[in-house]
Amino acid sequence: MLRRPVAAALLVGAALAPVALPAVTGSAPACAAATGPHAALVIETGARDLRLCVALDAPTVSGTHLIELAGEQQHLSYGFGSGGQAVCRLAGVGPEGDDCFADYPDFWGYWRGDGHGGWTWSSTGAASTTVGDGDLDGWVWGSGDAGSTHPKPPSLTVADVCTAPSPSPAPAVPASTHAAPATTTPRSTAASVDASAAPSHRPSSPARSARTRTASSSALPSVVAVGAADQGPPPVSGLPGPGLLLAIAIGAALAGGGWLRMRSGRHRDEAAPP
Amino acid sequence: MTPRPIHPGAWIAWATCAGAVAFVTTDPVYLFLLWAVSWFVYTNHRSDTDTARSFRIFLTGAVVAVVLRTALVFFGTISVANTAFSFLEGLRLATILVIFGTFNAVTDPFGLVRIAPRHFHEPALAAALALSIAPRTVASVGRVREAQRLRGLTVRGARSLPALAVPVLERGMDEAHTLAESMDARGHGRGRRSRYRPQPWTAASTAIAAAAAVAAATFLSASAGGWAVLHPQTAPLVWPAADPALIVATALLAVPGLIRSRRP
Repeated sequence: MLRRPVAAALLVGAALAPVALPAVTGSAPACAAATGPHAALVIETGARDLRLCVALDAPTVSGTHLIELAGEQQHLSYGFGSGGQAVCRLAGVGPEGDDCFADYPDFWGYWRGDGHGGWTWSSTGAASTTVGDGDLDGWVWGSGDAGSTHPKPPSLTVADVCTAPSPSPAPAVPASTHAAPATTTPRSTAASVDASAAPSHRPSSPARSARTRTASSSALPSVVAVGAADQGPPPVSGLPGPGLLLAIAIGAALAGGGWLRMRSGRHRDEAAPP
Repeated sequence: MTPRPIHPGAWIAWATCAGAVAFVTTDPVYLFLLWAVSWFVYTNHRSDTDTARSFRIFLTGAVVAVVLRTALVFFGTISVANTAFSFLEGLRLATILVIFGTFNAVTDPFGLVRIAPRHFHEPALAAALALSIAPRTVASVGRVREAQRLRGLTVRGARSLPALAVPVLERGMDEAHTLAESMDARGHGRGRRSRYRPQPWTAASTAIAAAAAVAAATFLSASAGGWAVLHPQTAPLVWPAADPALIVATALLAVPGLIRSRRP
């Protein structure tokens, strides 16, 4: 009985290679050039507004690494959850633990600036976004699962934040100096080891899904949280919708039909002379 | 009247569309439905034991893929949300494997070469060889083991590997040689080739391809337009969304399972 496990292992090995590789290759070396690229990080905690001009240590970085860089350069305090994939805590606001939705319905909404003052709701998590020179990333604490309901950062461009493209990582706004120094707590330094790092964990996942159907029926937070005692209060209790029952019915019909056909086919094969 | 075989092009369309559907979603409702659909199609169109075996191999591979992808969580922070997320990612990969296994089991990869346009003949041949390598290897491993059993050889464990690998490789070489000779005999590679028993595109083929295209278009429009949830949230974990339109679209992929056909 060797052939099946071997073949299966080969198949799976080949299939998983693209998933596992990005996790192994990890992050770029820290070589922050003084004249290197800059990106703007806009954070609205509700009580304070931070405008950080961050020097990038690579031509492009991920949204989470931008926050880490802001921590190094401007003493922004932050905390990641879900294995370093999701943003839980910025500038002292947000849940402490690994569950970034512990304070749901309030959470850190992730916005991407378009460079002209406009903001779009990010459809992916900050671990898998690409931030390059002149880009803007916005984080707003608040409720609302969709870009249409979550509070939006004010209209800003990179020039507003990085007033002069100065070589030094200038603290552009005095607010950043208030940003709770020395409490930088990268929660999971093992993030680059985390093999699940390849796809994002979508910290903005509820939002992403709800962006698509804000007022409609069976979707998101209007359903029950399953077996997640550590996941904070379930949004709204409820049973799975009629769609799930329809899916189960169709799936059972297909599976049963196939099984019956398999059986009758076997009988036919046995009955028929070769 | 015996039903005519389904055109390989229709199977390509079906597999491509089903794969596209699996690719754009991590919702377990649609993914598990795709497993049922694949099983339904496979049971209707499977032919001989060799391809049946390759379907089982792909099924095993799919289950292992889910388990491994989920197990990767243990290298990071273990939480309900992480585990669920990894499971869904693995499930998507596994679904694509199952669809590919079904495609392998119901088509003859070398039938695909026949329908390729003349100028694309060589790439099509390379693709057919690549597609068929897994089922052919599985089939040949099965034959070698059967032959070993018939001779009373019961080699087990790691020591059976060389005894298995040599005849399998030899067989692969033989098959490639036979294929090359038969292609040469039919005038391949010399610019002229005969249309030997051209395969007709039937109404059933049209139905399969059209239904699959509608299914894929529905999912792609949901992915691009965002009118339905394709990636259920895992933090906090909730019941996955099940949109009736998308369920019906997935069920459309089961159309080949309703059509009777004869193997080409």
